[in-house]
Amino acid sequence: MRAYLERCGKILCVVGCLLGGPAVLEAQPIRIVTTVPDLADMAQQIGKPLVQVESLTTGVEFMHAVPVKPSFVPKLNRADLLVVMGLDLESAWLPALLEVASNPKILPGQAAYVDCSVGISVVEVPRGLDRGEGDVHPKGNPHYNLDPLNGKIMARNIADGLSRNFPQHRAAFEANLKTYLAELDRAIARWLAVAEPLKGLKFVSYHNDWTYFANRFGLRQVGTIEVKPGIEPTATHLVQLVEKVRQEKVPVIIYGPQSDRYPRQLANQTGATVLRLQQIAGGSAETKTYVGFIDHNIKALLAAAKKGPLP
Amino acid sequence: MHRFLSQTRLPAALLLAWTAGLFPCEALGQQAEIESLRALVRDMQQQLESALNRIEQLEKERAGDSAKVQQVEKSVAAVRGAPSILNPAIGVAIDATAEHRAKAGGDFNFRAAEIGIAANVDPYARAYAFITGSKDEVEVEEAAIVTTSLPWNLQARAGRFFADFGRLAKFHPHEYPFVNTPLSLERIVGGESKADGIELSYLFPTPLFLRATLGGYNKLGAENERLDETRSRAWSRFTYLGRLQSYFDLTDHQSVELGASLAYTPSIRLAGDPRSGDRSLGGIDITYRYQPLARTLYQGFTLGGEFFGNSERVERASGFKRVFAPGGYAYGEAKINRAWSAGFLWDHAPSLSSPGKKTIGYSPFLTWWLSEFNRLRFQYSYLDDDVREEKSERGHQFFLQWTTVLGAHTHGFRTR
Repeated sequence: MRAYLERCGKILCVVGCLLGGPAVLEAQPIRIVTTVPDLADMAQQIGKPLVQVESLTTGVEFMHAVPVKPSFVPKLNRADLLVVMGLDLESAWLPALLEVASNPKILPGQAAYVDCSVGISVVEVPRGLDRGEGDVHPKGNPHYNLDPLNGKIMARNIADGLSRNFPQHRAAFEANLKTYLAELDRAIARWLAVAEPLKGLKFVSYHNDWTYFANRFGLRQVGTIEVKPGIEPTATHLVQLVEKVRQEKVPVIIYGPQSDRYPRQLANQTGATVLRLQQIAGGSAETKTYVGFIDHNIKALLAAAKKGPLP
Repeated sequence: MHRFLSQTRLPAALLLAWTAGLFPCEALGQQAEIESLRALVRDMQQQLESALNRIEQLEKERAGDSAKVQQVEKSVAAVRGAPSILNPAIGVAIDATAEHRAKAGGDFNFRAAEIGIAANVDPYARAYAFITGSKDEVEVEEAAIVTTSLPWNLQARAGRFFADFGRLAKFHPHEYPFVNTPLSLERIVGGESKADGIELSYLFPTPLFLRATLGGYNKLGAENERLDETRSRAWSRFTYLGRLQSYFDLTDHQSVELGASLAYTPSIRLAGDPRSGDRSLGGIDITYRYQPLARTLYQGFTLGGEFFGNSERVERASGFKRVFAPGGYAYGEAKINRAWSAGFLWDHAPSLSSPGKKTIGYSPFLTWWLSEFNRLRFQYSYLDDDVREEKSERGHQFFLQWTTVLGAHTHGFRTR
């Protein structure tokens, strides 16, 4: 009997080595799923070869209307870490996917659910919630990634999330974070210097999503094309906006993933420059990284600012 | 003269000496004053810097205090709101129509006010309920518990819910892309796939989305009157379901979703029928979507359809006989811009007892989204009917539907 048990034990050892051996020899990378490319870029910079990162969105989508694709479900199902922007930016589509992803460890509140809005000084938090005020964000303006100083907090949150779930790699994550933050600091210093001409630049945006950027670089938002968040403009609102743009000599109209119909209409009537800027990274090779995306937006605004205010 | 000179030389020398001594003294005095002023400025500069530092420090302290105050305010609010802070998300959908049916006349139809309630129960489950009041009755359409952390990619659901049969059968009517439930769905499935029972779903661990569901229910279908679900009975007189569902991204902007469902009831005995028979209800659903990622708000196209087949014993003039009745619907809907979309529904609904008789429906519809939560829809339908069971199911029909949503009202993944 004893010999039989020993033989069984040896067989189990061999089977175990065959099955588990390759896994031990070649550790699987940590699978990170992010909701936006900004976070994917940061997670890659912090995780380096230890991670395999995938973003659910590509950078061209309107964040409040991302299609709920079932092809996202297997990705979420296999994820070791889910990194989100938070502040309800993904509320229109992510909860429905998590509902069927069968991955309890990445559900909100769990250790592998990394909310990058933690520690952000959130602006425009509504005092009261009423849909009469449009499609308001209950937790405040979620477009905080447009302020590069918040990029440092986002990166820190990702590093903390990685260390919390994979403490054995903490040293590597911290070292990579330090390098990334140094790179970001250099970029921020450069942006603050070159963006000096943007101080006081008046603009109108389609949606109220440029507050963080405007606060950082000293731009002044004069109005929005939307009547209220998520509500398309009425004819009266457009007439009033044209008047305001003329009076205030607003040189720039910014829009993002929305239609260019109203921005162009406004520009045709006022002579202002229309700029399509990105709210998130991705969408093109130039804006693939977080630094590249902020760079792109600043360059585009500087080019528009050179033209000066409207006559 | 010499004397004069000698007498005047001394005071001149003295004057000269005094003058020579006076100027250096004055220069020295000015230098001291400058030094003193410099020291004063330095001192003031230091005081100013110190004051600025203090201001900065105070501002920081004030910001800290403000944050602390905000935290305290939040805590106070949390304590005050403690009894309600864990309340579930609540929403209401209101759905009403003004209708004119050529053969039946006009109607202001209060179709439904649907109260939706949802929340996590604990770390292991969430629950939701939809209670619907219409002009006829108030009923619990759904009230179910769903697991959130079962191992091996499993998910269980129990209670009353819309069973995982087909695609549109899981929609509440106010969420349809058109005004009415397709007649084929109504006759063959019994409208929504409402069922009391239990379901277990499995997500295959593959890169491709593949999901299987097994279920057991009292019966399936909101309008299904074949079985009395209020009484205990043999397990052969329940309905059992299997479904397989998949999805393919053709490109970044195009996708196809496929599903196949089979609901089987081993034994149904009809009044007057000397022997019982089984019922098989099958369905295949396919949905093609074009959703240009950068323009999902403004553009898109959906082409969807379902084919149903029902096989069971039915009563005919010649007696009880097994009959297979096929039917289905297909629709296309194009998003014209952010506010408007237009589509067309084709519907083929057979009579379950005489499948040769059928109702064919043609329905163009136009939807106007005033906002994400407020929608108007216009629909014209022409029903070519040779079943002749209901007056309201034939001829020309016109609908104006108004649907609004208050609060948090969502049906999740199934109605995407």
